Amino acid sequence: MSSFSPQALRRWQRFKSIKRGYYSAIAISILIVLSLLAELWINNRALMVKYEGAYYFPTYGDILPGETFDLDYKWETNYRALKRQFKSEPNSENWVLMPLIPFSPNENDFIEGEYPPYEPSLASGHYLGTDMSGRDIFARIIYGFRIAIVFSIFLLSVTYIIGIAVGAAMGYFGGAFDLFFQRIIEILSNVPILYIIMIVASIITPNFWTLALLLAGFSWMGMTWYMRTETYRENAREYVQAARALGAGHSRIMFLHILPNSISILVTFFPFSVVGGITALTSLDYLGFGLPPPTPSWGELLQQGTTNLEFQWIWASAVGALSVVLTLVTFVGEAIREAFDPKKYTFYE
Amino acid sequence: MRYLFFIAVLIMPLLAQSKTLPKDLQWETNNSADTWADPNATKGGVFNDYIISFPPTLRTIGPDSNNSFRSFINANKMGLVSFHPTTWEIIPEIATHWAYGADKKTVYYKLDPAAKWSDGKSVTADDFLYTIKFMRSPHINAPWYNNHYTEQFEDVSKYDDHTISITGAVARSKEELHYYYGLGPTPEHFYGELDGDWVKKHNWKIVPNTGPYQISKIKKGKSVEFSLKENWWAKDYRYNKGRYNVNKVVIKVIRDDNIAFRHFEKGDIDSFDLVHPDYWHNKAKGKLFDNGYIHKVLFYNDMPRSASGFFLNMDKPILSDNDTRIGIAYALNFEKVIKTVLRDDYERLNAFHEGYGDYSNKNVKARPFDLEKANHYLTKAGWTEYNGSGIRIKNGKELSLEISYARKEHTDRWTIIKQDAKKAGINLELKLQDATAQYKTVMQKQHDIAAMGWSTGFKPAFWQHFHSDNAHKPQTNNVTNFDDKQIDDLIMEYRFETDTSKRIALSQKLEQMIHDSAAFIPSFKVSYTRGAHWRWLKFPKVPGTKTSATLYSPFGNGGVFWIDSKMKIDTMAARKSSTRYTPVNNVYEQFKVTQ
Repeated sequence: MSSFSPQALRRWQRFKSIKRGYYSAIAISILIVLSLLAELWINNRALMVKYEGAYYFPTYGDILPGETFDLDYKWETNYRALKRQFKSEPNSENWVLMPLIPFSPNENDFIEGEYPPYEPSLASGHYLGTDMSGRDIFARIIYGFRIAIVFSIFLLSVTYIIGIAVGAAMGYFGGAFDLFFQRIIEILSNVPILYIIMIVASIITPNFWTLALLLAGFSWMGMTWYMRTETYRENAREYVQAARALGAGHSRIMFLHILPNSISILVTFFPFSVVGGITALTSLDYLGFGLPPPTPSWGELLQQGTTNLEFQWIWASAVGALSVVLTLVTFVGEAIREAFDPKKYTFYE
Repeated sequence: MRYLFFIAVLIMPLLAQSKTLPKDLQWETNNSADTWADPNATKGGVFNDYIISFPPTLRTIGPDSNNSFRSFINANKMGLVSFHPTTWEIIPEIATHWAYGADKKTVYYKLDPAAKWSDGKSVTADDFLYTIKFMRSPHINAPWYNNHYTEQFEDVSKYDDHTISITGAVARSKEELHYYYGLGPTPEHFYGELDGDWVKKHNWKIVPNTGPYQISKIKKGKSVEFSLKENWWAKDYRYNKGRYNVNKVVIKVIRDDNIAFRHFEKGDIDSFDLVHPDYWHNKAKGKLFDNGYIHKVLFYNDMPRSASGFFLNMDKPILSDNDTRIGIAYALNFEKVIKTVLRDDYERLNAFHEGYGDYSNKNVKARPFDLEKANHYLTKAGWTEYNGSGIRIKNGKELSLEISYARKEHTDRWTIIKQDAKKAGINLELKLQDATAQYKTVMQKQHDIAAMGWSTGFKPAFWQHFHSDNAHKPQTNNVTNFDDKQIDDLIMEYRFETDTSKRIALSQKLEQMIHDSAAFIPSFKVSYTRGAHWRWLKFPKVPGTKTSATLYSPFGNGGVFWIDSKMKIDTMAARKSSTRYTPVNNVYEQFKVTQ
């Protein structure tokens, strides 16, 4: 903590004191970590198999064909079936350790004699039920969350890097450069992004990266205005002039002197940008212009839910997950905003 | 001399028109076929229906005209003759009699002098001559039609105001002559001389028609209303008795099937087609059905089935090999899709041409899901090694293919196919595209596997789908790039054969060869239509015909139902007071095909 400035420490203390935001931050971090490790607790591959004295760890890496366990097929082992088989063998030394939720998000699990979607049930192991094609909703929600949050953070990094660089340059150089980019930004802001994505999606099937870059290409402008005004203000301060007098270059002044002093405004935007990213991906998926099927996605789940309102568990799961995550992130955002609010420390003489 | 030439130019068109009929024509008509409506049907009432989107234009030709609304307009255009929906006999429409020329290319028609346009003008031979002129005009901006009417029609001649002949480009069997060369009339008095503005000018014009209904009100973006003509010229004709009973047909725009279904439950729409298993089993249930306010109907039909399934692009290196294709066919678990998400409601389609009577080869059966056979053929084709994800490789190349499809409701089907194909070491990537984009991909022949279906025709049509003339080039219907000399010869033989039994033999042989190539892997068929309607919608004893694709079509070969207005009031009141009627679940098996 010693490397942080007293001001940063004060903000941290303030943030911690806002309980709602602080605990939301902890919760969301746990969720992110859990989702990044999703393969270890939601998967149709076993965590560990002991077979004829040898141990297998199938979670990551290449598939283990059924032949590995002397089954009569070459494709990937069905570990749930294998577990049942080992259990039914008396005095067997072999065992299978399955993850907590033994389904993969893309796997259709059909129950003989019944038609999907299946209701939530403890007996079947589908705690939130399945979707219209028999895929476990809980698995799809967690994997969908992972994709949404990674997408959102990636999107945000790209938009911030471009937005900050352009905004700072506009504020710093001013004049014709500023005027020129203002116009560029105005033009870009008026491009209907949804249509662009629809057109692109009809030509190529967007994947994670193309979709993120496409969205970033049309949404970096928001940040520039704040950065521009902030830079204008800081630019007139004495420390900047001092740096300039010492012979510091443009980029050094912009990124090492001005940027750290205007970071607070960026940080307060951060959680709301995360919310924006998740919402954008979800709504695109909902409309069918997002990531290609069968990628697990909240938007796609929501779409299934709304077209099949009679199966409440589908839309309820999607809406529930969305509400929880968006609320948590918004709480964090509020707390950050409050922690960075200078008013608390303003002294009047 | 110049003077003479002038006169010759003047009278030449007259000479051309005053053709004489061949002497030995045998005029035929048909006033004895079975009727399929109930002559005691009550007239009156309003029938409410819906469409997903408002038509971009009311034109039935030219840019944007190929939309689903066009069928409503076209169903109110009478043809020269039509086909009996159950027996396929030829029955009169605008033509009362017809006769065949010795060249096997010409049909002569006697027009009904009573036939009238909706604006009161008589339908005459000139309206048919004008159709050709109209369809060939560059101003309608429809190159396909320009070309079709130039290449397929050799001549349309007038003998007098009510007698014409149509000569097609190639000789065909009798019924096919009517099917392929049977023109409709086009109102010359309405269109007049066409000009460059034609497309724009006629976007929202209501064109005079000859059928029972005409558009009477348009609310842009909201609804289109058709009204029954007061004194429709053909209303008392044998085959029209008891049909076209409702006074008005209102077609509302409801942009989502789910929401439309809610309208149906409210009684704002009278009927709903429920072929989709999800609707039939999950949505169409509850009080409205249990209390007998809404009746459910399952009606087996017997008609050509859409050739739907996977079309393998043989120009792609992986798919150019016959054994690989057969291996893939054995690795696609359509049976599981049917058993699970399709709830056993659909059946496996067996061949490209099914439901064409004798023309269909009933010995051709689709390859079932069989991993052993898949393994056998794929191994034979050299796909012997596997990579870390369990996908087969050959010479360092993965057995990985893209399925391009256009309907997001079908994603659940293809995910099952994908999961099970993995067991055979095949990686299938799902590529969902917008319908137009998929159409473009397929027409450019850029797909690996296209999941799609073709609309049905009159008789099996091999040339467009399997002849090498159409292979390896964009914008043709040979989407598998089928290119086989032997098949080419048979197709040409089939095309020009006029003897029915020989054609049937050829058709069956071709079907077998197509099956052997595994370029087309058939998916599903539905051998019925089903739906639900409010109890005030009344039907004849048999509510449809052999070829009814829906029971609720107010126009065309449909229009047999009627509305009991008193019962509508009673039902609505009963619904309020929760009075119960007997629930109705009718199944009609008259036209069920047993295999």
